[in-house]
Amino acid sequence: MFLHIFKYELKNGLRTKDLIIWLILFPILLGTCFKIAFGSIYEKTEKFRSIPVAVVDDGDNAAFRQVIESIESADEPFLKATFTDKEKAEKMLDDGDVEGIIFTADKLSLTVKEKGIKETMLKSFVEQYTVREKIVMDAINTAPEKAQEVIASLTSDTASSCKEIPLTQGNPDPYVQYFYNLIAMVAMFGSITGMHITIQNQADLSPLGARNNCSPAPKSISIAACLAGSYIMQTVCMINCVTFLAFVLKVDFGDRLWLVYPSAILGGILGVSFGFFVGSIARVSIKAKTAILMSVSMALCFCSGLMVGNMKAVIAGKIPWFNNINPAAVISDSFYCLNIYEDYDRFISKLITMAVTSAAFIVLGFVISRRKKYASI
Amino acid sequence: MQVFKAMFKVMRSRLPSAMIYVVCFVVISAIIANASTNDNKFEAKRLDISIFDEDDTPESHALAEIIKKSNDIVEIEKDKDTILDSLYYRRIDYALIINKGYADKLRAGETAELFSSYHLDESFSVVYMGQFLDEYVSTVKAYLNMGKSFDEAAASAEQALSQNAKVNMLSRIDKGGNSHFSVDFAGYFQYMPYILISIIISVVSLVLVTMNRKDIRFRTNCSCLKESKYTAQLFIGSFVFVFFIWLVFMIFGAILNREMYTGRAWLAVLNSFIFAIVVATMAVLVASFEPKDNVLNLITQVLGLGMSFFCGIFIPVEVLGDGVLSAARFLPAYWYVKANNMIADITPYSFSEVVECYLIQLGFAAAMIIITLLVRKVKYSGAAISTAVKKKALTH
Repeated sequence: MFLHIFKYELKNGLRTKDLIIWLILFPILLGTCFKIAFGSIYEKTEKFRSIPVAVVDDGDNAAFRQVIESIESADEPFLKATFTDKEKAEKMLDDGDVEGIIFTADKLSLTVKEKGIKETMLKSFVEQYTVREKIVMDAINTAPEKAQEVIASLTSDTASSCKEIPLTQGNPDPYVQYFYNLIAMVAMFGSITGMHITIQNQADLSPLGARNNCSPAPKSISIAACLAGSYIMQTVCMINCVTFLAFVLKVDFGDRLWLVYPSAILGGILGVSFGFFVGSIARVSIKAKTAILMSVSMALCFCSGLMVGNMKAVIAGKIPWFNNINPAAVISDSFYCLNIYEDYDRFISKLITMAVTSAAFIVLGFVISRRKKYASI
Repeated sequence: MQVFKAMFKVMRSRLPSAMIYVVCFVVISAIIANASTNDNKFEAKRLDISIFDEDDTPESHALAEIIKKSNDIVEIEKDKDTILDSLYYRRIDYALIINKGYADKLRAGETAELFSSYHLDESFSVVYMGQFLDEYVSTVKAYLNMGKSFDEAAASAEQALSQNAKVNMLSRIDKGGNSHFSVDFAGYFQYMPYILISIIISVVSLVLVTMNRKDIRFRTNCSCLKESKYTAQLFIGSFVFVFFIWLVFMIFGAILNREMYTGRAWLAVLNSFIFAIVVATMAVLVASFEPKDNVLNLITQVLGLGMSFFCGIFIPVEVLGDGVLSAARFLPAYWYVKANNMIADITPYSFSEVVECYLIQLGFAAAMIIITLLVRKVKYSGAAISTAVKKKALTH
């Protein structure tokens, strides 16, 4: 009997257009959109590269020119300067070809278009130049005999005063977490599949449920068969989603891609079980159940950062326990742990959380939906 | 006006979901509008920095004070995982450790490895802080070399570093000045296409598909209503709905802007109206394929999300790749965004180019109408119907 119901559950799933649309096509669409949007934003805005700047050298400030040249000769120069006149420089700034214009006439001044880290760096560069001028003046005024030594120490290349302690080998691009949340969203959409199990097995919700209830198969077996079928379909959807992201869109999941699959599949199982549980609690119509589940899933995904990237960090600051029980956050966190942490402790704890909550949802779902019998008329 | 009335009865069933879009959009816009500032003065970016002072001497405290002046200090636990999480999710930009022995080493004139920093990636913030620390250390060293005592040197260094360079903003960026259309308020018009597409396509297409359902169409066809009048009523009904939705957004926009539109803002209003028309023609085209409910939802999402991500609605145009942008030219939202950016002075403003964008959008609308007519012609032509009848006859 189990196999029979199982077979029909699979057939049923394959013929549900909504399943194909929302669990297979929609993630592909959204993933592609995310890739277009976030694919190069990290490289373009946050990762360090030389800042293009225009220099308007009216006063023929030879010393400044020399400084710029010495900076540009470095391996990874901080500035990329273009010497030009005022009009052209303003046009370049307006078109976004340079980040700022440095005017060298008598006192250095800076003109920028936006307020951001690059502009702040330019400001601090201009200040640095005046600071050095001041130091040299101070040296000449207070200790002229040592001025030469001071100037030498300022211009000599000193070793960096700061040692960097690398934290991770993973992909530091924070925008990847949108893809983690996309996978979590597919898993949470699985809750709709899970809800259909209760609808198919409860006589007051659908004609199919009524038919199933008057069959001789015990309810536990028919629900178990439906659950198994749904898990398999959800697994296919999850594998499809991860494969598309990793191999078609080439999203960098770190160097342990093979572990992304099991955690995505476990996430899918968690989503289906969640839907099964919620579906069996409330005795309301299919439409109302779908609406409840969709809005709950979307709210959970929102809290995990599907719409606003640093939402999870905001919640971690305010109500940290919520991230440990929000299924969407747990799923997306497991991918984050795989990417960022060297060890497996946190990853395994996320997997255990998923497994335990899934088991709890399944048991509770069974307990609630059992003994809902109907009088024979 | 029976057809007109019937349309609105069908629309009413879709109104709740459309209202959810409207409410979300207005609430989010209100939050953004309140958070924005209108001044045009340069402010240096303040980084969020965590300092772990292992040296704990007056010298290291002095350095922390200097860092605090131009940055914000964030207190977090000294735990590798917490620091990593904070850096990754950008709660902090830089995690600095002042190494033990900092004061002694600096007194002796040594500059190597005074500090450590937890490193996630080579971002602008990391380079900036690295430069700042080097600069501080070499300034202190320079004053020490002049023969000053350490305390004097530290004080002089602090004084020297507190120089403030004059920074001008490029004067063309006129935030809410003469153009009466600020960069911040442009955000309201920037996100509007997504909402317009979502609402108009999901409602108008659904209504048209419903009105075109076989039994309803047959019933209308055998009534005494003229075909032209029927089409006209459908047209007026769709137009009234689109106009109403657009008007609602314009009224909310005026409220959020805290004044009636003036000057250049009217260009943005016109721009959004033209885009609403384009979307309406798109909805008619979609409806002529008679999609099922779930397919219609997918089409709405594809068009809404697709155009929003492709054409620079959700994210600024300048971070999009060149390949994406050249493909986006074939979508109407690209021209909407382009016009909006010019009107808001994000890109150089030119009236003739704005008009050009309007015309291109109208061109898309015209193209959409022509395709719709073609599709309908093929679908309802005598040949198509006779094949359909034959097919039916064969299956029976």
